[in-house]
Amino acid sequence: MGLYSSLIRRKFRNIAGKRYDRILKEYKEFLLAEEEMVLPEISSILMPLDRFVKDIPLELYETLSSYDARVLLVYIIDSQVFSIINQTLSRDASEEFKRKEEIYGLKILREISSELENFGLKVQTRLFFGDKGEDVIKLAADHDLLAISKAYGSEITKTSPLSPVAFKIIQHVNIPTIIY
Amino acid sequence: MNMEAVALAVFLFTYALIMSERIHRAVAAMFGASIVLVLRIVPWDKLPTYLDLDTIFLLMGMMIIVNTARNSGLFEYIAIKTAKLAKGSPIKVLILFSIVTAVVSSVLDNVTTVLLLTPMLIYIAKLMELNPIPFLLSEIFASNIGGTATLIGDPPNIMIGSAAKLSFNDFLLNMGPIALIDLILTIGFVYLAYRNSLKVDKDKKNKIVRTLERLDEKAAIKDLTLFRKSVTIILLVVLLFFVHDRLGLEPAIVALFGASLILLWSKEDPEGILEKIEWPALFFFGGLFIIVGSLEETGVILQVAQWMISHIHSQGGALFVISWFSAFASAIVDNIPLTAAMIPLIKNMGASMNIYPLWWALSLGACLGGNGTAIGASANVVVIGIAEREGIKITFGDFLKVGAIIMTLTVAVGVGILWVRYVW
Repeated sequence: MGLYSSLIRRKFRNIAGKRYDRILKEYKEFLLAEEEMVLPEISSILMPLDRFVKDIPLELYETLSSYDARVLLVYIIDSQVFSIINQTLSRDASEEFKRKEEIYGLKILREISSELENFGLKVQTRLFFGDKGEDVIKLAADHDLLAISKAYGSEITKTSPLSPVAFKIIQHVNIPTIIY
Repeated sequence: MNMEAVALAVFLFTYALIMSERIHRAVAAMFGASIVLVLRIVPWDKLPTYLDLDTIFLLMGMMIIVNTARNSGLFEYIAIKTAKLAKGSPIKVLILFSIVTAVVSSVLDNVTTVLLLTPMLIYIAKLMELNPIPFLLSEIFASNIGGTATLIGDPPNIMIGSAAKLSFNDFLLNMGPIALIDLILTIGFVYLAYRNSLKVDKDKKNKIVRTLERLDEKAAIKDLTLFRKSVTIILLVVLLFFVHDRLGLEPAIVALFGASLILLWSKEDPEGILEKIEWPALFFFGGLFIIVGSLEETGVILQVAQWMISHIHSQGGALFVISWFSAFASAIVDNIPLTAAMIPLIKNMGASMNIYPLWWALSLGACLGGNGTAIGASANVVVIGIAEREGIKITFGDFLKVGAIIMTLTVAVGVGILWVRYVW
């Protein structure tokens, strides 16, 4: 640090004291953060669903409909659960699990898709076997916004209001995320 | 013991400590003052004579008013409103922020003004993706120029007003027009110097406007009732300053009246407000007054004044020397200790010439000289310090290149106007 810099710092400390820190804190309470200054362009939205996702709030549909974007609804059947059932119970039990999951998945995709279309959004649906956490993170890389339920992947409790799967996903994605 | 030599040594040692900033300037001034008191260079019973309570109480009163008003979010509101009015145009940002800084600085102290406005200015410059340096430099210059315009704008003016018994209107009539012309010239100069870096394309401008529109100035108001009361009291105090001489009230009484009224009306916690008074600044002033008092007491000031009078034979010459000397000295030394030392000197010159114009020359040099270098005035240090914290480097050379020209230009204009008015 040069002589000039250290002189300025000493003078600043002596003249302004801690007043600047207080003022800065007050400004930060209502000014936008740097990343918030840039209005994100949202043209594609990823919305993962599973049997734990219930009660999608009306506000979410309204918020998503404010973007001129297409929505990809994905229903991922947990391949690890399928393989555990296959190994511990029987092939038939695992096939039964797959069949029930596909029926439920297609039903929920149809319902949510129809709701989103009612709000004027273009919707695509996908149902596949995979890893709920890893696959959503991968898919999110090709989308501009992620809308994810707090209960995605497992049920939530009072002491754990965010599922571990949802928590892992929001820690790893680099796109704006709505958690409902 | 040669008291003259001791007083001079304490004075020089203290000023050297203040310049070095190795220890807090208030501590340096208190230490120097305690030495001259211990050595009885300034007798205890003469303390009230040298301690300029008009200045100290005026500063204290204004600090209370500002600290109470600050709790309402008034100044953040002004900053956001100004930013929105500029509508994403760099030139408008430059002009509006300079004008707002100058106006606020003319009523409040410069340090508070720039502390409150600089975060917003840096925010807008980042938003515009422009070099923030021209905006910050213009803010510094405007703050020092705005402070020149009124009795309460800058501590040297408060000290001069108190010593020479000059009214708020005297300052406004003599220094106001100079400050106005200087402000216009300064904005014009900064624009010309940085015109190539003050451009944004139309698309970006629209984006900036959209982002600024999302800022809600009303969100900055933390307490609407206090906000309204603060505006009312500040307007009342400014109004009283306009008529204080006709009412026979000292400016310090007006400030203390405003301070007590805002505390009473707002019902804000007085402990919290009084804690926020910048006590170090007040002790700094008190200490300086006592140290300079020791020079008066021992006759050092009188000797310097006699020497000056023997070399300066006319009022015009004195006006010229005082304004330019105090300008160049203020560019290097803090203008508060400089003014504290110059005031008794000018008073002593009163025996042989009309010193009325010399007060304006001192005000001009002490306030505008601060624009000369990066360390010339408190506002400079605060803005440069904030910029450095935000990763914006304003070097001594960067500042000097523009500041020296602004100082020369503004002081020359001021001297010219004073010359025409009082000498020609």
